[in-house]
Amino acid sequence: MTLAATALASALLVSACAAPSADSPTASVDRPWDEVLAEAEGQTVDLWMYGGDDRGNAYVDDVLAPAAADLGVTVRRVPVADTKDAMRRLLAERAAGEDDGSVDLVWVNGDNFATGQEAGAWLCGWSDDLPNMRYVSDEDPLVSEDFGVPVEGCESPWHKAQFTFAYDSARVTDPPTTVAGLLDWAEAHPGRFTYPAPPDFTGSVFVRQALYALSGGAEGVPAAYDEGAYGELTPPLWERLRDLAPALWREGRTHPRDQVALDRLFADGQVDFTMTYGPATLTELVADGTFPPTTRVLEVEDGTIGNASFLAIPASSPDQAGAMVVADLALSPEQQVAKADPDVWGQFTVLDIALLEDEAARAFDRLPDSPVVPAYDDLSRNAQPELSSSWVTPLDEGWRREVLGRP
Amino acid sequence: MRRVLPVAGLVLALLWLVVPLAPVLVWAGAERWSYPDLLPGAWGVTGWRDAAAAGLPFALLRSLALGLAVAAVATPLGVMTGRVLGWRLTGRPRLVVAALLVPLVLPPFAVAMGLDVVLIRVGLPELVSVVLLLSVVAIPYTAYTSATAFARTSPELEAQARALGATPRQARLRVVLPAVRGSILVAALLAFLVGWSDYVVTLLVGGGQLVTAPVLLGAAASGSGNDAAVAAMALATLVPPVALVTVAALRVRSSGRTAADRLPESVPPEERMR
Repeated sequence: MTLAATALASALLVSACAAPSADSPTASVDRPWDEVLAEAEGQTVDLWMYGGDDRGNAYVDDVLAPAAADLGVTVRRVPVADTKDAMRRLLAERAAGEDDGSVDLVWVNGDNFATGQEAGAWLCGWSDDLPNMRYVSDEDPLVSEDFGVPVEGCESPWHKAQFTFAYDSARVTDPPTTVAGLLDWAEAHPGRFTYPAPPDFTGSVFVRQALYALSGGAEGVPAAYDEGAYGELTPPLWERLRDLAPALWREGRTHPRDQVALDRLFADGQVDFTMTYGPATLTELVADGTFPPTTRVLEVEDGTIGNASFLAIPASSPDQAGAMVVADLALSPEQQVAKADPDVWGQFTVLDIALLEDEAARAFDRLPDSPVVPAYDDLSRNAQPELSSSWVTPLDEGWRREVLGRP
Repeated sequence: MRRVLPVAGLVLALLWLVVPLAPVLVWAGAERWSYPDLLPGAWGVTGWRDAAAAGLPFALLRSLALGLAVAAVATPLGVMTGRVLGWRLTGRPRLVVAALLVPLVLPPFAVAMGLDVVLIRVGLPELVSVVLLLSVVAIPYTAYTSATAFARTSPELEAQARALGATPRQARLRVVLPAVRGSILVAALLAFLVGWSDYVVTLLVGGGQLVTAPVLLGAAASGSGNDAAVAAMALATLVPPVALVTVAALRVRSSGRTAADRLPESVPPEERMR
């Protein structure tokens, strides 16, 4: 106990004294979990997360936080308008060499994780040792890489997402079967399709999905960004999206600002397709009458993009043990199944059901079958990996310049 | 024509302020509002219930505390600076004015981004840093407001009180201060508003310790689909300052009138001639 505590203290001291560098500090290896639990007791974990998702907020406040309280850890949710706000704060703490920071846990993936990793702002080498990691498959590429950046124990998986198109089968009688086919359908049905404007999260992934479709699939696009590939692959993409624009909703002069705004257009019957990175919510939207009962998920033969999001602990966090306990709790089968319930939040689990004990596996089986959304296994068939996060900004910028700016 | 233009301008300015608020007002009472209806299909208080569940009451209390703290720091400092400027007690008024302009010229975002690293290094508690930084932003407002008030009030007032036997302290607190009371109230109000409505400094420098109404509102408004709750939060954040400004405006008007009535007695005729 004392030895481990001294080791941790000196690790903190070293990381605090050293000039900020790109080397991520590492949590002391192979600490017995009981010690982490004991140290966590009484700590308050500031969880910074995007606050624009009501159901996500409610899940953390009403399900995760009470369970953490039972372990003696208080979860304080700090709502932010953009995860970049959390990044600004923790990078400032990193630059100041602070070891008593105010961010203990961040809901993160992609670009923001890569930024923190470059600055050495994350605590590393801890997530593989979480007890509940035994239910996560070693071979799952979604969990071992985050938008092309190796995770290396610097964040623990929280949930999976699968990009999904949904349509109203009463209005679309000839649904397309590929993404390229979807673009053709949009062109043939003026005013009945649109997508959120990047850099919105959903609009951004739609553009990447279109890039795959026009480049011969994910294999046609190098996962790591390079200017040559960008210069070669994007002109046809921009041309296709520019040509498509006049056939979009409101002649493409304006775009919905995010997925929920697109959902509203779909619910109001103004467009025939919507798209989301969180398809589990479709079930509830149909059940409560927001979406028509004839809503169906589009089966895309060439597969759609999937990703995972994570919980990361900043190196400057003073409550690292508490943060690890919360991250492990969030990964537990009980929490993962509660979170996957469409009535709660409807986020796909990162656990491998085959690795679960019988009782826990049955709990996942008992989750209500959706009349709208196929099971994750079907949904993620032929799933394509996300591009590296360094692709995201150039593509968002390129879309704004080449498609939005040149009608 | 010459009369119509200013009135039309005033009406336009008021419309410009009020029209964008109309949807917020309607949304705050809407249960469901879908295209292409001009008005919500169902009315209700769901928005307010959701906003309360998201922690709006405590966020408003935190905003109140922050506004009061900023006013408590920035008002006395501003009044002192305003006295120096208004009564021309310094040989270098331009230097003071230039120094006061700096926080107004620099956007708070830039200040917060640059200073947060420094403040963390210094090791001040986050809440103290937030109040200090916001006070720096507020002092130009309090200083200018009180400078105009002092410029309107004769420095002779203090001298006369002294001549009548008041100590310097009494002269300032019981004679000069009441004479500029209305402006000090306005100055304090402006400082309060700086603290009440800030987002960037509160979040980044405060390190998330202080979830005030604007922080909550900003996070909620960044998603969509909860328009009613966002509208309720926006309204709850907006109404207290508007009410305060209205009350202050009414009070300043009436106290201004009485001060003007009193002035002829306190200043001898030959003084007024000058």
